[in-house]
Amino acid sequence: MSEVVFVRRLSPGTKSVLAVFARYGTIIGLLAMIAAFSLLSPRAFPTVYNFTNVLNQASLAMIIAGGLTLAVIVGELDLSIGFAASMHGVLVTGLIVSSGLPIPVAILLVIALGGLIGLINGVIVTKIKVNSVIGTLGVGTILTGLSFAYSAGVPITAGVPEAFLQVSLGRWLFGIPNNIVIMAAVLGGLWVLVERTPLGQEIQAVGGNHAAARLAGIDVDRIKILGFVGSGMCAALTGILLASRLGSGTTSAADPYLLTAFAAVFLGSATLRDGEFHVFGTFIGALIIAFGFNGLSIFGAPTYSQYIFQGAILIIAVGLSSLGRILSQR
Amino acid sequence: MLASNPEKEASSTPPFLAVRGIRKSYGGAQALKGVSLTLEAGTVHGLVGANGAGKSTLIRILAGLAHADDGGIAVDGKPALIASPAQAADLGMSFIHQELAFVPRMTVIENIMLGLPKKTRFGLVDWPAIAREVEPVARRVGITAPLSAEVDGLSTAENWLINICRALVRRARLIVMDEPTASLSAAESEKLFAIIEDLRRSGVAILYVSHRLDEILRLCDRVTVFRDGNAVSVMERHALSRPRLVEAIVGGAVEALAPHRDVVNKPIVLSARGLTRLPKVDDVSFDLHEGEVLGIGGLVGAGRSELMRLIYGADRPDGGTMTLDGKPFSPKTPAQAVKAGLGLVPEERRAEGLLLTKSVAFNLQLANLSGIVRSPALPLIDYGRRKTLSEGIVRDLAVKTPSIEAAVGLLSGGNQQKVLIGRWLLGAPKILILDEPTRGVDIGARGDIHRLIRSLAARGMAVIVVSSEPDELPDLCDRVLVMAEGHIVRELTGPGITRNAVVEASYAFDGQGKEQT
Repeated sequence: MSEVVFVRRLSPGTKSVLAVFARYGTIIGLLAMIAAFSLLSPRAFPTVYNFTNVLNQASLAMIIAGGLTLAVIVGELDLSIGFAASMHGVLVTGLIVSSGLPIPVAILLVIALGGLIGLINGVIVTKIKVNSVIGTLGVGTILTGLSFAYSAGVPITAGVPEAFLQVSLGRWLFGIPNNIVIMAAVLGGLWVLVERTPLGQEIQAVGGNHAAARLAGIDVDRIKILGFVGSGMCAALTGILLASRLGSGTTSAADPYLLTAFAAVFLGSATLRDGEFHVFGTFIGALIIAFGFNGLSIFGAPTYSQYIFQGAILIIAVGLSSLGRILSQR
Repeated sequence: MLASNPEKEASSTPPFLAVRGIRKSYGGAQALKGVSLTLEAGTVHGLVGANGAGKSTLIRILAGLAHADDGGIAVDGKPALIASPAQAADLGMSFIHQELAFVPRMTVIENIMLGLPKKTRFGLVDWPAIAREVEPVARRVGITAPLSAEVDGLSTAENWLINICRALVRRARLIVMDEPTASLSAAESEKLFAIIEDLRRSGVAILYVSHRLDEILRLCDRVTVFRDGNAVSVMERHALSRPRLVEAIVGGAVEALAPHRDVVNKPIVLSARGLTRLPKVDDVSFDLHEGEVLGIGGLVGAGRSELMRLIYGADRPDGGTMTLDGKPFSPKTPAQAVKAGLGLVPEERRAEGLLLTKSVAFNLQLANLSGIVRSPALPLIDYGRRKTLSEGIVRDLAVKTPSIEAAVGLLSGGNQQKVLIGRWLLGAPKILILDEPTRGVDIGARGDIHRLIRSLAARGMAVIVVSSEPDELPDLCDRVLVMAEGHIVRELTGPGITRNAVVEASYAFDGQGKEQT
């Protein structure tokens, strides 16, 4: 009988080229994009003013994406964030304008409410065992309805005090825009939480292998709920800052942040680590999107091209992310 | 039995399946060390052996789910390459596993035809033609449920029949049955045996894998016995007997007696009374003493891992009570069990134990995070302390790793296992449960792990070891409880803990009933 030999191996060369691309592709892409825009538009693009402006614009997306990062690290998706942020924007404006609450009180109250909505999301997903895509989509839709009910769909613009606008537009610390300061504090705090605390190790463990985390004695449900709470609080903060920047509480104003946040988070997971979500990666992901938008507008590309860019970047991001994961498992 | 003599047929036509010199290793562990097996059409071929002997590995290779490192397979005398399940099916091989694979919300006939396109000329599914083809086969194997019923609500026995029907519709020439009667009643088993007899007469070859020796004796024309990755014995029907099978499964090796200590006078740490979670754990009572290594023996499916999950709070019992240090103990989650002083090294170390992409240090510290914070007021990880503790464990357990920051998935099976055990040494639990601690582990690491377990017990830790390897429990344990079909069927102590005694008690439910001593 002739012997049959079973040999199936992948070429290691192909594999390592792909692995480098999967890890550093996003950073290489970011640098290439900055270099290309700088060459094409040397006067308008590579300036301190423009870079500060890009970062300022991107800060709101970075905060909401930072929160979403927590939810995805624990292995869940939070689709309520955009709708929640819109509702929080309407609510905080209404509380200040109509109810006459002091600005700091209204802000803290709305952030706490964001945490409560996260808690509700978490309970729905972990205790009632509703798939997180469906559960958070349902909650988000309800929140949109509530925000219409609260404002009757009319933007709250009249009587918004200048002091509230200054929360987002001010430069209270060394002339740095407040948005950037707040974003740096939030992302810095999240990074410390995830990478440097015991709780962060548990968060990573739950997302990495929830069966193993459970048997190691970690309360998996509690950690998942915490992930949603963090996500909900960041969504509230983004909603508040957007209302402050626009000077109005407008229903659906923050809805587009959902897609931006997901694109940033998935681009981030393809950054440096093989398909693992992490806070620094999310920051890089959000920067790529921000510079992309900025470049498009500097070159006068029509508004619709931003949607095409964002949709394409989301698919590329998820593709890169799963490529990294596949390679790390080989 | 009216089966014709397979030896005579073999001289004229080649056997349906010939397996020659198959080798397969996983990591450092050799699962198959060059096995051969010849399977004639129209015969029932038994495949027996202890857990881990290599039976499942061979089946996975035949099914195209795993690829042999070396060796060859021929079907009808022609070399065959089985690279995928689809190719195995094309060769006429059909596999029926313990966990039956169905689409639950589809009907019987839809499941039978799954993946077999039969279309009208408009490209639609030709249901009348399918029904004409399936109905006689379904009658032949005795499916009583209507073909339009959803498989979701049907019994396990009915599912087996559907699977056989599916195999026949596909014109299978070999049906591999893995523990077919494990969840069938006696009457259902009889029905299955009649169908097997019918299949044999019609020329189908059957590879029958079972721990139940009375079934093997009754059904098989020929039996191959696997032990430690080798085919150690091939017996023809006339030479089959129960003692010969047991001897071949166990092997004639000399019993090595390890020093067993008498620990029953030590204080009781954990006590279980009437613990039940049907169908896998049924009225189990036992005591665990301080400093004791308690072995749990038995076959896969006897309810051992399920019992451990109850103790560890991973599942909730239907009935029964436990006490820990004399106080009532009913953990609702593993987190509560860990807080109470338990630790578990699970059977599926890659799926349930480790985070493969994370570092050795990350995996080691997972159950001891409160032990590496700078201070309770400032809950930041003290990386210096994390490094010292991790490196200490790596050194003490002789874990072979490039560094504590290397991904644990890159280590060998034995070293991964050491990391998992090491995780619990940092928190020093009162009770450590190890489920199959040396499965897939090379011989050197196995010795290390055994010494480690003994030394933990010597320090006063109570250790429970679940093992399917007949050799492991006698080497390691002070006392052994053997489980079969959800019950503890025997307690072995001192010099009574031998590999033969463990194996024999494991088969206690087979034939003679479960309460014999």
